[in-house]
Amino acid sequence: MKRRKFDAAALPAKTAGAVDDRFQVATPLRKLLNKVFPDHWSFLLGEIALFSFVILLLTGVFLTFFYEPAMTEVTYDGSYAPLRGTPMSAAYASSLDISFDVRGGLIMRQMHHWSALLFMAAIVVHMLRVFFTGAFRKPRETNWIIGSLLFWVGFLAGFTGYSLPDDGLSGTGLRIASGIILSIPVIGSWVSSSIFAGEFPGTIIISRFFIAHVLLIPGLLVALISVHLGLVFKQKHTQWPGPGRTNSNVVGERMFPRYALKQGGFFMVVFGVVALMGGLFQINPIWYFGPYEAWVVSAASQPDWYVMFLDGSTRLMPAWEIHIPIGNGYVIPPLFWPTVVLPGILVGLSTMYPFLEARRLKDYKHHNLLQRPRDVPARTAVGAMAVAFYVVLTLSGGNDVIADKFHISLNAMTWAGRVGLLVIPPLAYYVTYRLCLGLQQHDREVLAHGVETGIIKRLPDGRFVEVHQPLTSADGHDGHAPALDYVGWVVPKKMNRLGALGPAIRGFFYPIEKPAEAPVSPGHPPVEPRPEREEISSGESRR
Amino acid sequence: MTSDNDRRRGLLARLRGRPVARSRGRRRLGAAVRLAAALMLAGGAYTVFAPGVQAQDNPPLTAAANEGKALFDVSCVTCHGRNAQGVEGRGPSLIGVGSASVEFQVSSGRMPMARQEAQAMRKPPQFTDEQVRQLGQYIQELGGGPQVPSGNLRDGANMSTGGELFRINCSQCHAFGGGGGALSSGKYAPSLKPASDRQIYAAMLSGPQNMPVFGDNQITPQEKADIIAYIQETLKSDQDQGGFNLGRYGPSTEGLAIFLVGIVALVFASLWIAGKS
Amino acid sequence: MSTHTEHQAQQGREPVDVNDPRLSRFDVVQEGARRDDIEIVHYEEQVVPGSKAERRLTRTVALMFLLTGLFATAFLVIYIWWPWQWEPGRGGDKLYTPLLGVTLGLALLGIGFGILTWGKKLLPKEVSIQDRHDQVDNPEDRKITGETMLYLADELGVKRRPLLGISLLAGLAPVGAVAAAPLIGGLIEQPHKNNQMFTTGFAPAEGGEKIRLIREDGRPIRPADVSVGGQLTVFPGIEGGVSNKHADSPTLLIHLREDDAQKSRAANERKGHGDYMWGNYVAFSKICTHAGCPASLYEQQTNRLLCPCHQSQFLITDNAKPIFGPANRPLPQLPIEVDEEGFFVARSDYTETIGPDFWERP
Repeated sequence: MKRRKFDAAALPAKTAGAVDDRFQVATPLRKLLNKVFPDHWSFLLGEIALFSFVILLLTGVFLTFFYEPAMTEVTYDGSYAPLRGTPMSAAYASSLDISFDVRGGLIMRQMHHWSALLFMAAIVVHMLRVFFTGAFRKPRETNWIIGSLLFWVGFLAGFTGYSLPDDGLSGTGLRIASGIILSIPVIGSWVSSSIFAGEFPGTIIISRFFIAHVLLIPGLLVALISVHLGLVFKQKHTQWPGPGRTNSNVVGERMFPRYALKQGGFFMVVFGVVALMGGLFQINPIWYFGPYEAWVVSAASQPDWYVMFLDGSTRLMPAWEIHIPIGNGYVIPPLFWPTVVLPGILVGLSTMYPFLEARRLKDYKHHNLLQRPRDVPARTAVGAMAVAFYVVLTLSGGNDVIADKFHISLNAMTWAGRVGLLVIPPLAYYVTYRLCLGLQQHDREVLAHGVETGIIKRLPDGRFVEVHQPLTSADGHDGHAPALDYVGWVVPKKMNRLGALGPAIRGFFYPIEKPAEAPVSPGHPPVEPRPEREEISSGESRR
Repeated sequence: MTSDNDRRRGLLARLRGRPVARSRGRRRLGAAVRLAAALMLAGGAYTVFAPGVQAQDNPPLTAAANEGKALFDVSCVTCHGRNAQGVEGRGPSLIGVGSASVEFQVSSGRMPMARQEAQAMRKPPQFTDEQVRQLGQYIQELGGGPQVPSGNLRDGANMSTGGELFRINCSQCHAFGGGGGALSSGKYAPSLKPASDRQIYAAMLSGPQNMPVFGDNQITPQEKADIIAYIQETLKSDQDQGGFNLGRYGPSTEGLAIFLVGIVALVFASLWIAGKS
Repeated sequence: MSTHTEHQAQQGREPVDVNDPRLSRFDVVQEGARRDDIEIVHYEEQVVPGSKAERRLTRTVALMFLLTGLFATAFLVIYIWWPWQWEPGRGGDKLYTPLLGVTLGLALLGIGFGILTWGKKLLPKEVSIQDRHDQVDNPEDRKITGETMLYLADELGVKRRPLLGISLLAGLAPVGAVAAAPLIGGLIEQPHKNNQMFTTGFAPAEGGEKIRLIREDGRPIRPADVSVGGQLTVFPGIEGGVSNKHADSPTLLIHLREDDAQKSRAANERKGHGDYMWGNYVAFSKICTHAGCPASLYEQQTNRLLCPCHQSQFLITDNAKPIFGPANRPLPQLPIEVDEEGFFVARSDYTETIGPDFWERP
């Protein structure tokens, strides 16, 4: 090549060419840029969890620069006067320093804690979305299992992190954890003494929790999240049924530019919300709790919200001790059942659910189209039952606060929880099941008879009937509009929704444009549905 | 007293029942009058003498206590009985509870109680500070008991000691943040937020309702000052920089906040992002 | 918009020459998408280029980005110059953290919503359809791969030479154990060393000397120190007694009222603990027998002791028997007396196991 003067405009192309010469990225990159993602608000819930995990990593790294994972006893000499001169562990002292003596340390700590809560909350909400829409079905069972494991690993991450400041509240939680470990039959005392290196609390547990919290558990989380995302990528996202959407295609936007921009923007929004919460709402004011001392406790000692259901189950458990009269006698304490057995059952049930359902329905097909909750009443009702169970337990985990602030007897709260745990879930099942059937029925009615117009017509024999606007103009054999197939997607219920899937009135909170003029008057011909409407198809109808 | 009454009644009966002869009768009348006068004198002396029996132990009430007694007889006597002896099933005896207890219960509006319930609630007080002092003075003079010292109750307080003492003695019921907490069967440890120095001091001294007593041997006045200073100047003055404290109910309100604020905000954001534009 | 017909059309379509100069850039993009089985079925500008709407949206997005810059600068200014340190008496400046949060949050939201508006309102709307290909593409490949793997197994000849497989397993198993051994072996601790689960700091010293009860500041306790209806947290008067080293030793010393003390004494006698109380004083372990929290919410009128963690309630006047909640075992009682100097001592260690239950608790 002839020597030429430097051409800046050609530089990107030249660099790209040089890169592709060496790594042959053009084809895979094109595939990536072009990948189509379906668009629905509920598909963004998992992203909240992903983004808060990124925030956790960022803020967490900051915290490690100042945190000292040691239980050596020091005398506090920082700027927070009410604790000055108090003997405490180095871990607690350094956590106080982060809060008071590191500039901007407090907001980092608070952001870290808030994003931890957000991470778990988003996981749960995302999980509910996946469950209630049937997104876990074949071929996505593996990803469902990974997702449920992510909850439990996140649970461990949260608990170990909560314990690190070694303050009065978290120490109490750690003490309960040691009690839970002790309650395991046969090996309990061995496991406990191995974890704590002797009797509780020992002097090493904080260091062990630290390495678990900053290396082992995040490593596991990163691995699980990578596989989770990789599988979403490989298997392509599920989509709602609707015009043009089939079990074998993905209708949406290509990854670039719009989808990626939205994701990037949403990350910033999640980050912004966490920053706002971290600045505006105080979380875990460890300086009030004091250092952990085995004899200090506070009223309303609670774990973070995602552990609260276990606390609740422990509170509700009656004092049933199993005594085994062999030799000196052995016991299985009541603590064992709600804290070891119950989570064990929950892990098993939650991970195995896709297989249980497939087996029950003998459904081994691929499913890429989601189901509306109303279309699968049994699953939705089971889900509602599980949610009710979880909510009763979580509320019971805070039952002393509820009792105190609403002036209810504490004992009555415990009994209400015990009864509620048995009564409310079946009730939730029944009510949800009926609701689903009712909603489905209404959809079917509209498909068969059309949309209610609100126009009352008097028949020659004197009866009054409401005129229905059929959804299709095609004439059936007897002159009536033929009933449309039920395909499990949104059915227009109002006249102004005819012919459109989205709301006819634009605007989020208030209309930004006027609603369509007068709805179709009886004299006019029926509104012509969009051509796509006839293409409605879903896995259901293609079976 | 009963025998004396009988005698008096007997005399009256005799006076009324027997027709008296004029000559002898006049003489007898004179004797009767003298006797009656003597008896009346004796009765009068008795009525003077009878309260005098108690007056030997207790000096007469001071003016303040007398004012207090008047208030007591109007507002408290129904449940706590005459002379604060207590009424079975309604209210306990107040002998020996001291002015500390009165000051705590009445100045915080817990007494007089609106109705019988698991625990008296804090209400707007019904008596002025002066009246509370008078009531306290009355109960104090009636049976003695612990008293809240006058003067500044936080003198020379050490906040850090106070915090330590608070966490070991108080936080189990009143919570780390002083917001209070539930006890068994509808009872509760109240929030410390509205409590004044004197009320906290009085509560420690007298152990109102189910609160254990923390006498001066157990927690010295100096330590009490430390605790009061910690409560008032650290817990209540809210000097920390973390933003809104969410009522300081611990992780339960934090959990609520992440759903009501965090998740709700982000779900709205995602509705907007994925919404049809 | 039938996907099937289009798909067929795609496959039957002549491949486009991307070097054809007549093609627009979008045509190339569309061709690329087609090669990935993507059909861009709808692509529509949302705003007419150069229109008023476009200018308005551009201004909005630009404003958001500029606000981000503004708030981020404000963050830095506040971070550097705002008073932030906690000072005794005055506390910290309460606005410091909230201001940091608000400026950082708004800066991030500004950039977030700026990008979102850009993507959502300014970019063309599109609907693309991509084929999934999640059915088994090529059953032949499956067959070939399966056969290849079986062939590998054949080559290794494990079936013919079973000894190799068995001996390999026999060799690998100990290697696996070697990997696990240091971890398990290093962590494992004998829980019953020094009988530690059954003794507390109140166990008499070696000479049989009784251990004093002390307060958190180390002072020994006279009976007069605990008021009637009062409670005091006490510790063994040994080195490290008031520390987490003896996390199982904190004890609640309660001075009962006369009539409550009588009830308690009677209950003690029923249990064969007749001499555990001293006068009207009674001492129970502060460590809950349920999960180990300090059960210390003593109600002096009802004589109930509540644990704040799981709401177990113990009746002090009945040997601290659990009367509500999940605890299954009474709180152990510490036998106490007063020594010749007038201080409380423990007559012996606890006679029952302290703290949460475990399997081999006799």
